[in-house]
Amino acid sequence: MNSSKKKITALSKLVILSTFFLLYLGPMLFVFLNSFKPNKEIILNPLTLTGYSGIQNYISAAEKMKYIAAFGNSLFITIISVGLIIFTSSMTAYLFCRKKWVINNLMFYGMIAAMILPFQALMIPLVSIYGGLLNVLNKWTLIYMYIGFGAPLAVFMYHGFIKGIPLELEEAAQIDGANSIQVFTKIIWPILKPTTFTIMILDVLWIWNDFLLPSLILIEAKDRTLPLSTFYFYGTYSVDLGLMMAGLVLIITPVLILYLFLQKYILEGVVQGAIK
Amino acid sequence: MKKQNALLTKLFTYTVFAGPVTLAFFTVIIIPFLYGLFLTFTNWDGVASNFAMVGFENYKTIFKDSGFIQSLKLTFKYVIFTVAITNAVSFSLAAILTSGTKGQNFFRAGFFTPNLIGGVALGYVWQFFFNNILTYMGKTIEIPTLQASFLSSPGQAFWALVMVAVWQYSGYMMIIYITGFLNVPKDVLEAASIDGAEGWTRVKHVIMPLIMPSFTISVFLTLQRTFMVYDVNLALTKGGPFKTTELISMYVYKKAFNERAYGIGQAQAVVLFIIVAIISITQVYLSKKKEVEA
Amino acid sequence: MNKSKKVLSLLLCGVMGLSFGVGCAKDPAVSSNQNQTSESQSAANTDKAGQGEAVKIAFLNSKGEIQAQLENMAKSFNEDYPNITVEIMPCPVGQSPTEILTTMYAANNTPAIVMLDPADVAAFKDKASDLSDEKWVSDAMPGSLDTLKADDKLIGFPFAVEGWGLIYNKAVLDEAGVDASAINTTSELEDAFKKIEASGKKGVVITSADWSLGAHLFTTAYSGQADNMSDIKAFLNGLAGGSTQIKDNAVVNGLLDTFDVMKKYNIAKSDPLSATYETNPEVIGSEKVGFWFMGNWAWSPIKDFAGDNTAFGFIPVPVSNNEADYGNNHMPAATTKALILDTAVNSKEQQEAAKTFLNWIVYEAKGQKGLVEECSIIPAFTNITLEINDPLGKSIQSYIKDGKTSIGVMLSNKHWGDVGAAMQKYLGDYSTREELFAEITTYWTSGDYK
Repeated sequence: MNSSKKKITALSKLVILSTFFLLYLGPMLFVFLNSFKPNKEIILNPLTLTGYSGIQNYISAAEKMKYIAAFGNSLFITIISVGLIIFTSSMTAYLFCRKKWVINNLMFYGMIAAMILPFQALMIPLVSIYGGLLNVLNKWTLIYMYIGFGAPLAVFMYHGFIKGIPLELEEAAQIDGANSIQVFTKIIWPILKPTTFTIMILDVLWIWNDFLLPSLILIEAKDRTLPLSTFYFYGTYSVDLGLMMAGLVLIITPVLILYLFLQKYILEGVVQGAIK
Repeated sequence: MKKQNALLTKLFTYTVFAGPVTLAFFTVIIIPFLYGLFLTFTNWDGVASNFAMVGFENYKTIFKDSGFIQSLKLTFKYVIFTVAITNAVSFSLAAILTSGTKGQNFFRAGFFTPNLIGGVALGYVWQFFFNNILTYMGKTIEIPTLQASFLSSPGQAFWALVMVAVWQYSGYMMIIYITGFLNVPKDVLEAASIDGAEGWTRVKHVIMPLIMPSFTISVFLTLQRTFMVYDVNLALTKGGPFKTTELISMYVYKKAFNERAYGIGQAQAVVLFIIVAIISITQVYLSKKKEVEA
Repeated sequence: MNKSKKVLSLLLCGVMGLSFGVGCAKDPAVSSNQNQTSESQSAANTDKAGQGEAVKIAFLNSKGEIQAQLENMAKSFNEDYPNITVEIMPCPVGQSPTEILTTMYAANNTPAIVMLDPADVAAFKDKASDLSDEKWVSDAMPGSLDTLKADDKLIGFPFAVEGWGLIYNKAVLDEAGVDASAINTTSELEDAFKKIEASGKKGVVITSADWSLGAHLFTTAYSGQADNMSDIKAFLNGLAGGSTQIKDNAVVNGLLDTFDVMKKYNIAKSDPLSATYETNPEVIGSEKVGFWFMGNWAWSPIKDFAGDNTAFGFIPVPVSNNEADYGNNHMPAATTKALILDTAVNSKEQQEAAKTFLNWIVYEAKGQKGLVEECSIIPAFTNITLEINDPLGKSIQSYIKDGKTSIGVMLSNKHWGDVGAAMQKYLGDYSTREELFAEITTYWTSGDYK
């Protein structure tokens, strides 16, 4: 009785999930299938599985995007920025969580407020300062800015989860003579693993796909990231949809792989936490 | 003497833990923001070499601007629906996908994919979907409501925007909820079920408090994203048909750059910032309070 | 900018000083000067060493569809002038060139050559170089420089001339027994639509985009007012000042009568606002309709669907039932893209190099060939005799040759945004003609047109 009821629940779950899944994946699938077609076929027969022109779109998209070079730039900027955001923000969040100093609270709410700032409102002042005044528009400045823009969300997320960690764990370590940095690296950091991987995914996604900020900061052609190099596909009055979709697939595949890969670690992290 | 030492230690601790973030935060966000604030008191057009101080003139024009108020109202409506639906959908997905369903990794990756398509490309794909595919289906299976494009009617274009936003954000928020669910220790769940706290009671008393942080974060993020939405608005409807879906970011943006009234546009951005800041800080404050109580 | 820079430095020092106790001794004026010089030095230094006077200039292209062709032109220019390298930067979709240029100026990182819409040129008059004494000024087509002047200076180079009207697919017209050249009144157009429908196809497709309706279709009524700029300006000033009422104007009403006819025979009649620029080329290219209201830039998307058929051309949108009336035989055409040369950020050498590039385009065989044959752009210069390859450009070119063009009126972004939205409502039958007039009047009295 109970097991058949369970089976029905599991089945209905699966049906609901699959329906949603198709809805969610539909557009992606659509992009993927049409990325092998010439523009004309996409307009005429978007839904049919005919009219494929092979990987021609991919070859010319990769060529136009200067894929290898742009991929390297994107990878470099994303890895360093995300690494630094995670490192600096987790420590900041730990401090804000454990020490109720006035400045900490001020900073915390200031950062939350800052997340609401429309980027367009900062755009001109930002380039006036870093370009016009300091003349330091390069990839290192971009990475530095990503820390400034990325830290608020990361601190906010870490803060929420550090709060849930029982104080007893730290107190025990402190009695054993560990200082606050050691407590952080030995006790807190491992527990935060799932949160860290989540932030990592969200930030990689953001920085990998970001267009506006790098378009303002990276003024040297050789520094262009993937999103910057794809705007070659758009004309004022014409768009080659086939090329665009192939370019899109080329950009997102690395992130999708990373997500699948990290997911495994998120789960493992939790299992380890549970064993302890 | 001792007091001074304590202060020094405090300063040292602060610098070690929060120094880099504080520095980046001030130089990347606060200073440009203050400079932007200064520009709202000028009549600068964004380009000219000279500009004059105009006091509060720019702010006065905002409240006389019926377009701004109208766009703000529309944005509120959009935010309410999008935030509610997105969080309901993503919470449910996360709940199902952490309950040990078969193939949950596969499903998670699938729900996550909408986040991978950004901005303009996303707009093209959905525009195509609404204008061509949906109408094609409507004609083939003879459903009259589907035969006209969603994007061409002023009432439906709004819902098209909400739909796309839910589709886009719920996968992202699902990840945050999943993190929350995974943070609920297995022994807590077991303990709860031994105590006989079954089903809904278990959700309410045991799980909910523990995933409150995810709630705080997700609601905040959806609030922020929906208030600030620009890309999708631009790519999907461009504010049309006839400006009926022009959300506030697009309105402000057009003011500053297309109409070359940078000072006024920036002032509108500041007003918008204050409104959204009040709403979201209240939200965060209230839910943080709840977290503590729980 | 200097003033704002000083304020900024003070602000920066203040906040830095407060929060981190960092001193700020640099004189802002000096530091900004240093920026200027280091900027130009670094630009020069990035070139290959050994070529004493190597200059590198950037060109911001806001016509994405000719990006590759422009890059080829830059290459062949470099063969003729080995010391000058031109880098073509595309302007991403979704960002207007003015917005990008605004941020580029803020960042002190402006390309030497910038392609803009003529309506935006005047905003950059402080920064743009005065081109009044350039050789090509005397070879420019009459009227092509009108919109590129500010404060008696010529600040824009007319890069492209484009025209707009009803594109026809001759195959469809032939099949229905319609002669395009004989259509020059509203009722003749309606007859043509009827004949096409009788042959089993649809008359016309109207793109519902606000830029098409607001910047091209409706402005046809302004173009039809007179054959000279000063009378058209007087008309527009009358609208802005309230002395002229749009609802009383015969050309405006005539154009809208034609528009009503077009609406009636629109292939997307059941859902007019769903007709997008992306999908309309298919409808005309693959012979589903006879006409499409658009401009000569639309050839490359049409080509995808037309196969070997290159029999396409333009007729003007009729504005009355009297075939002798001015607008009925004249195609609106105008300079739609202009180049400005920056003087605020680029060095003297870079500015000279930019001028050399413009002269190369106008006077050297390779430059002319690149512009006309490769980019398919209708040149604004009478000395260039090359013929364009694409049928739509050719059609506009022949109207120009015959003196059968009217002045295309290019107004501000707000104009096409507001009027375009009003026209969308009218197209979708969400408003009456009176309501349309009321909305257009609201734009004209808003003070946007100066």
